[in-house]
Amino acid sequence: MKIVEKTESREKCAEAGWFAWDCLLDHKINREFILSLKPLGGFVYLDMLRQPFFKIENDYYMIKGIEGNNYFRIAVHGKHQEYLEKIEEFVNTEKQNSL
Amino acid sequence: MIYLNNAATSYPKPSCVKEAVQACLEDVPASQFRGGMQIGKKDIEEACRERLGRLLGISEYSRIYFTSGATEALNTVLGGLLLDGEILVTQTEHNSVLRPVRNLLSAQKLEMKVIPCEKDGRITLAALESSVTSRTRAIVVNHCSNVTGCIQDMDMVGRFAEKHGLIFIADVSQSAGCIPIDAEKWGADALVFTGHKSLMGIQGTGGFYIRPGLRLIPLKFGGTGTDSAKLVYENDDYEYEPGTHNLPGITALYAGVGFILETGVEIIHKKERNLMEILYEELERIPGIQVYGNKETCRGPVLSMNFTGLSPSDSAYILGDTYGITVRAGLHCSPLIHQAMGTGARGTVRVSVSWFTTEEEIRSFIKAAEEIAESLTGVF
Repeated sequence: MKIVEKTESREKCAEAGWFAWDCLLDHKINREFILSLKPLGGFVYLDMLRQPFFKIENDYYMIKGIEGNNYFRIAVHGKHQEYLEKIEEFVNTEKQNSL
Repeated sequence: MIYLNNAATSYPKPSCVKEAVQACLEDVPASQFRGGMQIGKKDIEEACRERLGRLLGISEYSRIYFTSGATEALNTVLGGLLLDGEILVTQTEHNSVLRPVRNLLSAQKLEMKVIPCEKDGRITLAALESSVTSRTRAIVVNHCSNVTGCIQDMDMVGRFAEKHGLIFIADVSQSAGCIPIDAEKWGADALVFTGHKSLMGIQGTGGFYIRPGLRLIPLKFGGTGTDSAKLVYENDDYEYEPGTHNLPGITALYAGVGFILETGVEIIHKKERNLMEILYEELERIPGIQVYGNKETCRGPVLSMNFTGLSPSDSAYILGDTYGITVRAGLHCSPLIHQAMGTGARGTVRVSVSWFTTEEEIRSFIKAAEEIAESLTGVF
């Protein structure tokens, strides 16, 4: 799995105080990919929803998305924008391993 | 896609609005006052002011001025009154009021005092009376909360302002076009509106009314097409619309307000109220959903809610990406009301309808909300 494109979210108020990017992936998000993100922080996986929702959160960043979609959102706190690249690197590496 | 974010901007627009904008763009530009080509054509700005005056209860409609929106209008009015002492704002106000007051007016030695509201956003006479002092000069009141849909008793506010000799500034951004407004009956000294919400115009339009006799220093100066040799205004004969006008925007607003006048604001209000009542009744019976406000006082086309255990932004994300339903999450640029509602940290999920929202769309939203709430039952 790779992030092929990322665009700054137009919903500037949605994640108040955070800077959000919507990331387009080269594959659809599956359960395996979601579980591979678990080491990144506090993990929420609502797999009872019609389309399972996941979120990873810590003090510096937040990742959220929906199983079956080929995109997800990364939001970083204003002072910690360096995490955007780190997460991107993690996702790209983990995905290649897990696919 | 189901669009329930009309409190941010209305969608779709009436076809007459789209046609009017297209016709405006295809027409020869109106080189005002510079030739005979426009003789016989009605001045769209004046016609729009007249329509707005009819809709908003303003007989002196020539004192309605166009701006880029309610934010610019509020900055103009709040900054131009050159007040000192205290200004009262309600806890329901939008940042387009709070930020100009806090940032611009500190230079004018004006203090902001917040009138506390009830949990549903309602302002009581007791709260008004306990906030006023001998230093109070003006009051700003949001007619319809953009968070709870609570409609304030503007007649009561007008009487209060008159009793204490306050300048009464009414913000009708959320209500103009969907709730009856009568600025003169209210006794409003100034009234601010936006064009792109229930007035059905396009983004980049709005304006304000200021009653005769109220001194207002303009926010902007520039070319107006009248007496170009004059560089300094004397005797307060200010002009408030410098620069080339947003003619496509004003044309859209003219068409939008025409659509509302033709349809009838009472009829629009009734239809939207019916939709909101369905929402209140159905959402309140679903375990795991908290609805803020109530259908008795919150009669505007806006409702705030939350799912137990789910943040507003996550809720909106799931609604949007799983169900194709667009709502809005967060504080909705009105941070203070959330202190009264108990939603200060993360805000709410806001659902807002328009004349074009159908009952079927509302039922689909309720079904989606129920499905989400049921899925979460027992999880949190």
